[in-house]
Amino acid sequence: MAALLAGIVALNVAALRLNMRVEQLDNQRDELVTKRENIQSQLSATAAAGRIEELATKTLHLGAPASTTYLELKHRGP
Amino acid sequence: MTARVANRRIRLLIALFAAVFAVALLRAGWLQAVRAQALGNLATNQHRETIDVPPHRGTIYDRLGVELAVGSRATTVYANPRQIQDPRAAAMAVEQTLGLSADKVYPVLADRSRGFVYVERQADPGLAQSLQDKHIQGFGFYDEERRDYPQKRIGASVLGYAGVDNKGLAGLELELDKTLTGTQGEKTIVKDPFGRTLQVVDSKPGSDGKNVYLTLDHSIQGQVERVLAETRERWAAKSASAIVMDPRTGGILAIANDPGYDANKFSQVPQDRQRNRAVTDTYEPGSTFKIVTISGALESGIVTPSTKFTLPYEIQVADRKIHDAEPRGTQTMTTDQILSRSSNVGVVTIAQELGETGINDWIHRFGFGRPTGIDYPGESKGIVLPPEKWSGSTIGNVPIGQGIAVTPVQMIAAYGAIANRGVMIEPHLVDRIGNGEAPEPVRRRVVTTKTADEVRHMLREVVEEGSGTAAQVPGYRIAGKTGTAAKPDGAGGYSTSAYVASFVGFVPAKHPRLVILVAVDEPRGAIWGGVVAAPAFAEIANFALQYLEIPPD
Repeated sequence: MAALLAGIVALNVAALRLNMRVEQLDNQRDELVTKRENIQSQLSATAAAGRIEELATKTLHLGAPASTTYLELKHRGP
Repeated sequence: MTARVANRRIRLLIALFAAVFAVALLRAGWLQAVRAQALGNLATNQHRETIDVPPHRGTIYDRLGVELAVGSRATTVYANPRQIQDPRAAAMAVEQTLGLSADKVYPVLADRSRGFVYVERQADPGLAQSLQDKHIQGFGFYDEERRDYPQKRIGASVLGYAGVDNKGLAGLELELDKTLTGTQGEKTIVKDPFGRTLQVVDSKPGSDGKNVYLTLDHSIQGQVERVLAETRERWAAKSASAIVMDPRTGGILAIANDPGYDANKFSQVPQDRQRNRAVTDTYEPGSTFKIVTISGALESGIVTPSTKFTLPYEIQVADRKIHDAEPRGTQTMTTDQILSRSSNVGVVTIAQELGETGINDWIHRFGFGRPTGIDYPGESKGIVLPPEKWSGSTIGNVPIGQGIAVTPVQMIAAYGAIANRGVMIEPHLVDRIGNGEAPEPVRRRVVTTKTADEVRHMLREVVEEGSGTAAQVPGYRIAGKTGTAAKPDGAGGYSTSAYVASFVGFVPAKHPRLVILVAVDEPRGAIWGGVVAAPAFAEIANFALQYLEIPPD
């Protein structure tokens, strides 16, 4: 009887520990999701075309690219 | 001590133990039977807690998958001033960690009449953690989602914004709020005396908001905003708007207004500047509207492109004199010359043949006087006088784009119909929601392919030898129309100093891939659409053609 009671208690304690571990992992997952979102936001802000253009013109003193020239090549028969 | 006395003391002790045991038994019975329910509830309340699980707000992407609006986690810091023992020290801690002024925070924390005050909504999670690590009694923390706009100014007036409660308050954030928001979940937890979760006993999952993919292209959008800012600065104009649309799909690639603003700082921007004026505001279009009259006359068979008219410089229409922009003698012009030279007298002469009812029908067939249906809140339907309110002189001004107010998006939709060989496609900003298929846009034929081709040819002449030569892009054929319209002066007449200069066109003229509209409000120094707006059109077109690798026609 005593062994059965001890077993039930041990089982409950183990279940409780597992529950706590699951909750901890849930929290860790939320934190990682949060970090990922924040990094994604930083990445988007860093890669923004406007920012890159501003850096290119103000820091590197680059100018706008020259316009594309198209050459129309006509096929001549043999 | 005798045995008798000892027995008496033992009996007394037994009686005492019995009495104590009886009291304990009664007390246990009382607690177990009578107070069981109340105490059970009390224990449940202390150990169990139901907490909301807020949904993640969907991300808004441009057509290439670049994030325009994203959610990031933030920590809101609150306090119960009644539990704060030393408000001065607490305020100093807030200043050290969150960077807020202790002088401003102290009165809030010292106000013991309140049990809940916000210290900072949506604070940086790292800074909030450093305050939490100080373990100051009376502070509380919870996670919230904060909306970030990583592209800052780019597309700000289109995206709108979501407030601190993560609810869309303007622009696409408002229009798509239900889609982006999702549904809130909740879970019931059992916690230990230290507040740590022991078990999740019940969980109702919510659903995150859906991601939205727009037709906007952040590079074209950024370029258009740059060109608009330069144009507005160069001509000291009040404001400027521009739209770039793909006529084959109705998808808007860029829609910009200047002055603009950083979407992350929307609360500091005046309400007036937050509007997407290309959709919500109207203007008198002037000569760009003439395609409606000419298309209607061609479609009705009243004229052909080569029909000749003998036109004086000035004609009388009811109580109003209509004249061309530049003084000239009486000339013979064909229909296509009337449009390419933007002759007011010529267009009004054709309109008189079309008649009031005919003009009115064509105005509505081109979609003016009602919203285009663009997926954006607050779209204006413009101002179109019903025929019963037309005066004798209305036929002298509406056909040339005066006495009628349209939105830039209505105007680009009309030119899109000509570019798309007579079929108008509803302009739209949302390409698809989540992983779903892009819905088929609403299409309707406005004019026949023949009429659209004829008008397109006339519009080419405007750019090649008419008022729109500044819109030319080397290597490409452009079709377009300039517009210069005096603004109403508010006293029933027209201003002699305030104008809207505009240019609408498409490129390549033969197989159009882009329709571009530029409208500049109240430019100084020059007022003409061909001088003020056409160069901006050319600059936008030049970039977009190269960027999208569109070969010349």
